[in-house]
Amino acid sequence: MRTVWLVAVVIGPLFGASWSAAGPATCPLGVAAIKLGVQGVASGPHADYGRQIEMGAQLAVEEINAAGGVLGCRLEMRFMDDENRPAVGVRNARFLVTEWGAHFLYGTDSSGVAMALGPVLRELDRIQFFTHAATHRLTEELVAQQKIKQIVRVSAPVYQDAVAAWLFRDRRDVRRWATIGADYEYGYATWAIFREQMRRLRPDVEFVGAAWAPFLTTDFSPHIAAVMATNPDGILATPWAGEAVTLLRQALLQGVFDRIKVWFQAMGGSVDVLEGISQEVREGRFQGKLYATSRYVHNWPNTETNRSFVSRFAKRWNRMPNYSAETTYSAVYITKAAVERARSLQTDRVIAALQGMRIETPAGLRVFRSEDHQFVYAVPAGKVVWDPRYPIPVLGELKVFDPKDYWRWPPFRPLELTK
Amino acid sequence: MEVFAYQGLIGLSSAMYLWLISAGLTIIFGVLGVLNFAHGSLFMLGAYLGYTLYGLVGVPFGLAVLGSMATVAVVGAGVERGLLRPLYGLDPSYQLLLTFGLVLFVDDLAKLIWGGVFRIPPIPEWLQGSVTLFSRPYPIYNLFLIAVGLSVGVGLWWLFDRTWWGRAVRATASDREMAAALGIRTPTVFSSVFMLGSALAALGGALSTPVRPVAPGIGAAMIVQAFIITVIGGLGNLRGAFAGSLLVGVLSSYGTLWFPEFELFFIFAIMAAVLLVRPQGLFAR
Repeated sequence: MRTVWLVAVVIGPLFGASWSAAGPATCPLGVAAIKLGVQGVASGPHADYGRQIEMGAQLAVEEINAAGGVLGCRLEMRFMDDENRPAVGVRNARFLVTEWGAHFLYGTDSSGVAMALGPVLRELDRIQFFTHAATHRLTEELVAQQKIKQIVRVSAPVYQDAVAAWLFRDRRDVRRWATIGADYEYGYATWAIFREQMRRLRPDVEFVGAAWAPFLTTDFSPHIAAVMATNPDGILATPWAGEAVTLLRQALLQGVFDRIKVWFQAMGGSVDVLEGISQEVREGRFQGKLYATSRYVHNWPNTETNRSFVSRFAKRWNRMPNYSAETTYSAVYITKAAVERARSLQTDRVIAALQGMRIETPAGLRVFRSEDHQFVYAVPAGKVVWDPRYPIPVLGELKVFDPKDYWRWPPFRPLELTK
Repeated sequence: MEVFAYQGLIGLSSAMYLWLISAGLTIIFGVLGVLNFAHGSLFMLGAYLGYTLYGLVGVPFGLAVLGSMATVAVVGAGVERGLLRPLYGLDPSYQLLLTFGLVLFVDDLAKLIWGGVFRIPPIPEWLQGSVTLFSRPYPIYNLFLIAVGLSVGVGLWWLFDRTWWGRAVRATASDREMAAALGIRTPTVFSSVFMLGSALAALGGALSTPVRPVAPGIGAAMIVQAFIITVIGGLGNLRGAFAGSLLVGVLSSYGTLWFPEFELFFIFAIMAAVLLVRPQGLFAR
């Protein structure tokens, strides 16, 4: 028996070494593994978003490796915390590419981090698939204008929030709109594109009030009180993650839902927000007046691809997938498709392979827009409801609109951002 | 007029959170001379413990708050005795470095124990609902906060002005060596003051749990405002901290109503205005 153990101890590492040495031999791309550098915020109040990015990427990597890799090449990933800080995001990207040897980059939640990364990606000549940062400037300015070809965005940008105008265009009883906005570019952009669409669809609508809450606000009471002083019929709110939950809880305390007709929480379809307001939704405290969208909702589309993804994700991580998990998961599969088409890891060839790409993903059909490297896909909006088939609230009474109706399209004219 | 009054009342409840955290900060600075960067972390720890006891274990909310205060007070005593005491004779920059290091340590510790996901337990049933004030629903929870904040103010005044312990603390703050020569055990006074300050931070944290997210990093957001308030009121001055909290809480609320474009800038404008007129703070002697 001792001899058997001895043989195992001596032979084992040799066998392992020969397996890993065999890796490059079977990979036609000439690398031991295709390296994916992933980053997102993994500390502070928004840490769950980075975690979801990591979970989405890891699930895709595990699945692809189990199915034989990309052209026979194994995928290897490394996740880093960008702390929602541009300087850290840039440092991470440089490390991942120059020290660790990443072939592709993914993720990042903050628009500020994304904008700082843009020029660095050109310098590093690595493609980053952006899977959360929503600023329109990333693709409109850095890609369409400045031609930084290494930027590709898989997630829906801030345009998605304009779906609210289409959702409520037939609600003639909702005429007076106000916003409780995030006091940074995202909040201004959403309010600007919503008003632009609304003015087009409903010239009778008035925009009566606005209150702006800085990042990491924990007390929204003054903002709610200020906006309610203008007697709005509808409120458009852009604080996200834990801030969205806090805002909604504090709005309930001030009896807001007794006085308004609709509340649109732009990113309220996000899993963490739905988890946070679970009890209130179950008790009907929003009185059927709370609506939301997201960058992906796990109960739509009703396709085998999506159902299967949600089921595998829930089994693997014991959570529902957030949009940043789906977008990163899909980004890894988009990489697989592009590399298989290009049969190369070179940036130019992979970008060429992305041209005209139409790919089925859990969120539905994604189509690559060549002018700004933005993947276009539809995300529904709907009412936040309790559905006993799910452990958390979901978006129900879903309405899907064609992105052609409410997204911005090239040629882009500058978006006027005012509070 | 009703809009004005309602917005002021909303600002008053915001001011009470600020008061609870800045009271502890200013007491510790006034007596120990320590500018405690980690005070926000004690607030966060109080919030997490409140959430754990009330939201997870199911302890009644009031008891959860008291349990959180007691636990954080003990943690505070440990920090003061084990970490700060060896630094009292050294340059103040060592204290700043230590307390800043504690911020990072406690943040990561919280992430390790409670995870990165934010937590908000339900509001206790007896604090749900609203009453009509100035023709609008005003949350009972906010009234409760105002009552707690004012009670703490009265309690602290009584403690420092009407008890032997308070006289000992004031004597120590005024002249440590003389106080020691008179038989006051200054190390014990230091520890008890740090415990009191920590318990106040925990009180603010635990009271925030049903209406504000508990997550790693929430202390950092609070500590900035608390520092601004203590500077406005005068470093180490308890009355100044109370007045500063009211000033920042209520004026910020009106700022949100009247100048929404300058929300971010408003609190700093208040600080700058006060410092221009009285650089030592409103209540500094």
